[in-house]
Amino acid sequence: MKRESTFLFFALPGAIFIFSFSILSIVSLVVFSFVDYNVFSKPEFVGIKNYINLLSDKYFWACFANSLFITIAAPLLVILSLVLALLFRSNYSRNKFFRAICFLPSLTPVAIIGIMWQWIFSEDYGILNYLLSLLGISKVKWLSSSPENLISVMIATIWRGAGYYMMIFLAALSSIPKELEEAAQIDGANKIQIALKVIIPNIWNTVVFVFVISASSAIRLFSEMYVMIPGLPTDNKSLVYYLYTQSFEKFKLGYGSAIAFVVFLISLIFSFYNFKLLEKKNNF
Amino acid sequence: MRLFKKSTKYVILAVIFLIFSFPFLWLLSTSLKGTEEVFAFPPKLLPSQPNVNNYLEVWKAAPFEKYFLNSIIISIISTLTNLIIASLSGFALAKLHFKFKGIFFLMVLSAMFLPREASVIPLYVITLNLGMADTLLGASLPVAVEAFSILMMRNAFLSIPDEIQEAAIVDGCGLFKLFYKIMLPMTFPTLTTICIFSFIGAWGDFLWPIIVLKSQENYTLQVGLSYMLGTFAGNFKYVAAGSILALIPVIAIFIFFQKYFEQGLFAGIGK
Repeated sequence: MKRESTFLFFALPGAIFIFSFSILSIVSLVVFSFVDYNVFSKPEFVGIKNYINLLSDKYFWACFANSLFITIAAPLLVILSLVLALLFRSNYSRNKFFRAICFLPSLTPVAIIGIMWQWIFSEDYGILNYLLSLLGISKVKWLSSSPENLISVMIATIWRGAGYYMMIFLAALSSIPKELEEAAQIDGANKIQIALKVIIPNIWNTVVFVFVISASSAIRLFSEMYVMIPGLPTDNKSLVYYLYTQSFEKFKLGYGSAIAFVVFLISLIFSFYNFKLLEKKNNF
Repeated sequence: MRLFKKSTKYVILAVIFLIFSFPFLWLLSTSLKGTEEVFAFPPKLLPSQPNVNNYLEVWKAAPFEKYFLNSIIISIISTLTNLIIASLSGFALAKLHFKFKGIFFLMVLSAMFLPREASVIPLYVITLNLGMADTLLGASLPVAVEAFSILMMRNAFLSIPDEIQEAAIVDGCGLFKLFYKIMLPMTFPTLTTICIFSFIGAWGDFLWPIIVLKSQENYTLQVGLSYMLGTFAGNFKYVAAGSILALIPVIAIFIFFQKYFEQGLFAGIGK
């Protein structure tokens, strides 16, 4: 039938793109992690050597630990964005203005987020250290010592993400039937009781969802760190930063792929957790 | 008591406003300062004599017009590619029946599980082999198509009743005309949402461009700004002015298309 071939006109371009840049990437990622490859010479099969080296690489573990540390941002983000959503949920025009202000950072390019915050955290000229000095706190080395550097990067990512997750919570809050809250109010519950006993249990799926995606993106943190603390030694960096330096500065693409595969596995665990929710929303 | 409650509320609102707007305002203030004031300690909240010198000088301090142009080109290529591919594929997945549909759909779904951070190495090797390393095409095409956009378009087409399609075909309307003239306009809100998110995503992309783009004349704004920041501390006033300029398109899109953002987040919940 002629039909089949015209149908391919619609499906083929997308299939080519998805195959060559996503499917092929997953396959070659696995293959690369078993070879030594530096772009300039032919790849050489080395078995599981890259993974064995990874296990005894203290920089890998240091970066892994740093990335785990940064995921402390996830529970903080859940709480902060939920509080913002509860504050600005009703459709007053003032609330719309505040939502916009909170949301704008999440549209801002990450490099500019890094630029803004490294300027605020700047140790000699930064406004934050100046404000702290007014309180009698002496110079904090926000960008040059550990774990302060991780905390400052974390603050920047929380500032960036809060408004985005607030929007997700707002969507969830709008689906709670009004009667529930009204009933609780009539029974004499105060606002905090209503939030804890009525609202949060009703949007629990979204709470978990936001926690999982914010943890998953925290563990993949790179850009803010690249802009804010480029000068620090390797063991102050994140997992993806280590992947980047190994692959694109030292050109150990095989070793980098082994690290990337670990990143892939971690985010796969997170994704599976959220797949069910997505499944419901998109009726596969 | 009532007054107390009201004033605490305003204090909380003021604090939230300050926290979220201060970094922008502080960058803006810095960008209007002269060199001495930029590095003054204690820092001055406002420039004593606001001037736009930094905005004029930044074009000379670096090939800034190149950065700007590259960012525009890359964002447009990415957005258009994503829109075209997502609408064609979305239509095919929602409304057509063909042999490998199941496999195609499975491919789209699995693509969503691969985070960009984990795929940059194979993507780089593929881009290298296509001869697109250090080109604007290489910085845009390999990362242009989002599996999630395909899914969004599929859902948009699925929500159009089959009767419309059947009626059009009975009336002798061809498949391409059906797609282009009838179905595509009906998905306009989804198309706009994808367009906005795609553009803002490409405009702000950082990881992929710093890997692919090696020569300075190919840098995007984000890469160029971070490069300027890293080379010379005295550059900061230019970096500040440049960052404000790089923010203008984002803020403009945000203001003009505000209603699409909430819509996009409802749909784009998996991003």
